[in-house]
Amino acid sequence: MSKLRAEHFKFFSFLAIIGLISACRTAAIKVTPPPADRHIPYEYVGRKTMVVAAHPLAVEAGLKILKEGGNAIDGAVATACALNVAEPFASGIGGGGFMIIYLARENRVTVINFREKAPSAFYAEIFIEKGEEAPTWRTVKGTAVGVPGALAGWDLALRRYGTKQLAQVMQPAIDLAERGFKISETFSSINKEEYEKILTNAGEKTVYLNNGLPYEPGDDFRNPELARTLRLIAQKGIDVFYKGEIASKIVKAVREKEGLMTLEDLASYRAVEVEPLRGQYRGAEIFTIPPPGSGLHLIQLLNIASFWPISQWGLNSAHYLHHLTEAMRLVFADREAYLGDPDYVQVPVEKLLSPDSARLKANLIRSNGVLMEYLPEEIKEKTEAGNTTHLCVIDDKGNAVALTQSINHFFGSGIIPEGTGFILNNQLDDFASTSSGPNAPGPGRRPASSMAPLFLFQEGKLRLILGSPGGTRIFPCLAEIIINIIDFGLSLDEAIEAPRFFSYSQNGRIRPLSLEPRFPQATIKELEALGHKITIREAYDKYFGGAQGILIDDKRGLILGGADSRRDGFGRGY
Amino acid sequence: MKGEKALSIGLIFIFFWLLISAQSNLPKFSSPALITSAGQNAEVQMVAVLAKRAGIDHNLNKLATAQDLAGFKSLLLVLGASMKGLGAAGLDLNKEMERIRGLLDGAKEKNIPILCLHLGGEERRGAQSDEFIRACLPAARMVIVVKSGNKDGLFTRLCQEKGIPLIEIDRTTEALEPLKNAFTL
Repeated sequence: MSKLRAEHFKFFSFLAIIGLISACRTAAIKVTPPPADRHIPYEYVGRKTMVVAAHPLAVEAGLKILKEGGNAIDGAVATACALNVAEPFASGIGGGGFMIIYLARENRVTVINFREKAPSAFYAEIFIEKGEEAPTWRTVKGTAVGVPGALAGWDLALRRYGTKQLAQVMQPAIDLAERGFKISETFSSINKEEYEKILTNAGEKTVYLNNGLPYEPGDDFRNPELARTLRLIAQKGIDVFYKGEIASKIVKAVREKEGLMTLEDLASYRAVEVEPLRGQYRGAEIFTIPPPGSGLHLIQLLNIASFWPISQWGLNSAHYLHHLTEAMRLVFADREAYLGDPDYVQVPVEKLLSPDSARLKANLIRSNGVLMEYLPEEIKEKTEAGNTTHLCVIDDKGNAVALTQSINHFFGSGIIPEGTGFILNNQLDDFASTSSGPNAPGPGRRPASSMAPLFLFQEGKLRLILGSPGGTRIFPCLAEIIINIIDFGLSLDEAIEAPRFFSYSQNGRIRPLSLEPRFPQATIKELEALGHKITIREAYDKYFGGAQGILIDDKRGLILGGADSRRDGFGRGY
Repeated sequence: MKGEKALSIGLIFIFFWLLISAQSNLPKFSSPALITSAGQNAEVQMVAVLAKRAGIDHNLNKLATAQDLAGFKSLLLVLGASMKGLGAAGLDLNKEMERIRGLLDGAKEKNIPILCLHLGGEERRGAQSDEFIRACLPAARMVIVVKSGNKDGLFTRLCQEKGIPLIEIDRTTEALEPLKNAFTL
C-alpha cells in the first residue's frame, strides 16, 4: 500500500512539475502589456506563431485564421485583407505589392509579385504630353491608376501554398468592415492630410469623410460598401473583380478621370511567382524580392556597409550616418539608371551585387566630406509620402510570410469606383519622368518599386522576417534596421524605433539628409560640417515608413514581434 | 420669498445679458473673405468647406500674396506648417514665411481684419508650425483653435498678451458656429 502511495506520489509529483514548467513557460510569454508611450521599444512574444501589422484589428484577423488551423500564407492574406478595412488609406484591393514566402518543410523561399501594371494603352510620353509640371496626371487623375494586383496575388499565394479558400480568409475583413471600429490618431491625421484629394475625387459624401470633413480620433468608422464588395468577391471569386461587375465599375471610375484602363487590362492581369534575390551580410543570408522591387538595392547597401567596422563607429555616430548616407546616394544613382520591370528591361543584378561594385562604392566614399557627384545619375525628386503597409506572419510549422502592399500615396489616387468602398492606387506615379530608360512608362509594364520585404537566415535558420512601407525610404530604412540588429546588437523593436535617417542623389547631385531629431545634437552638427544639408523631420516620422518584423529567438524558444510606432503597428502571437 | 424669486430671475437675466453682450463683443468680420494657410497645411481646405457651410462668400488661394487682398474685407489665416504641403507647393519655410509676412503687412495697410484658425491639433505643432503661429497671432483680431493644439497654452499666452479673443473648440467641425457668428452682423 505504502509502495502504491509512493508510486502515486511520484506520479503526481511528476505531473505537478510538468504543470509547473508549463505554467512557467506560459507565464513567461504573458509579459507586461505594451507601455502607454507607444514609442518605447516593446516586443510582442509568442512561442509558436506571430502576426505583426500596421493595425491591431488586422493582426487579430490573421491570428484568428492561424488559430483555426490556417498556415502563414492563410494568415498573411487574412491580415492583408483586413488591412484594406482597418488601414484603407495605405493598401487594399485597389493596389498591389509583393509577398515573400518561406516554406519550412521544403526549406524553400519564393516570391509572389502582384505589383500593379500599366494599362495596354499606356505609352512612354504620356506624362510628358500631359504636362509633367502638373503632377496631378500621375497622382490624382485616372492616368495614375495601375491595374490592381492585390487580389490576384493573394489568390495565387493561397492556391499554391495556402490551406484555406479566399472566402474563408476574407471573412474577418468582411466582419470588420460591417462592424466598424474607432478611428486612431494615425488614421485621423492622414485623413486630414489627404483631405483635398479625397474631397476632389470622392466627394463630400464618401465613407472616407465624416459628413464631408476628416474623421477625428475616436470617431466611429464603418464601411458597408467595402463589406459588400468583399462579400461579393468571397462568393464569386476574383473573376468578379477582374472580369465582372467590379471590373466595369473600376474602368468607369478610371476613365471618368481621364485614365486609359480597359476591361481587357483587368481581365488579362496575372500575378506571378518568381525566384527570390539572395545576398549576404556579415555571415547572414538575406532573401528578398527581385526587380521591379528594391531588394536589389537593399542588398547593395548592405554589401557596401560590410566593408566598414560599423559597430566600432558607434550607434548614432556622425561617422556611421555619414558613410551610410553617402552609400544611399550612390545606390540611388544606380537605382535610377538600372531599375525597371525585368519583363521589359535587363536589370544588371549580378553586376550590381558583385563584391567589386560594393568595394568600388565603399572606396569612393570619403570620411572627411560629401562627394561632389553621384554617378550614374538622373533621379527625379518627388514628394513621396510615407505610404504602403507591411505585415509579417509565422505559423507553428515555421512557414513565414513578409508581405508589403500598397496603393502608393496615402488614400492612393482618391478615386473610388462607385459603391465599392475601396480606393484605387496611383502607382503609375512610380514610373520615371523620362520617356526612355529602364523605368519609363510603357504598356503592360510594372513601375519600379522601393518595396523590399525580406527574410534573414543565420546558420541556415530563419531568424528575421522584415519589411516596411515608406516610399523611397523603404530599403535604406530596412538596411538601417538590419545594421541596428547585427552591428549594434539592438533588440528587434529597439532597432525599429531607433532614430532614422535618409538621403538620396538626384541628377548626380547631393540631396538633403533627412533626420529624426532624436540624434544627438553633436552628431547633427558634425554632419553639417561634413557638408550634409540637414532636414529635420518629426521625432517619429511616418515619412520613414512603418516597419514590422518578427525575430525568431531559438535560444530562448521565443518568437518576438516588433511593430513600428510611427504608425499603428501591433503584434500578437501564441 | 417673492423677493428671493425676483432676485433669482434678475440674476438669470443678468447672466444671459452678460453672455449675449460677451458674444456681441466678439469682433465681427465681413465677406468676401480671402482664405489661405500659413504653412501650406491641409486644414486650409477644411476651413474653405466650413466657410461655404457658414454661408461666407470666400475665395481659397493657397499662395495668396498682398496683391490678392484687393476686393476682400477679411483674411482667414489657417496656421500650421506641413512639409508635404510646402513640398507640393514648391516652397521652403523661408519662402512661405516671406509670403505670410507680406500678406500680414498688406492686410495691415488695407485695414483688413485677420481671423486666425489652428485646426490641426497637437500634430500640427512643433518648431516649424510655431514660427507661423508666433508670426501671425499678434496681427489677429480673433483666434479659433482646436484645444489639443493649445495644450501648452501657447495660444492663450499670445492672445492674452495682445487682448485677442480666443475661442477654443474640441473638434474641427465645431469651428462652424464661431465662424458663422463672426460673419453675422
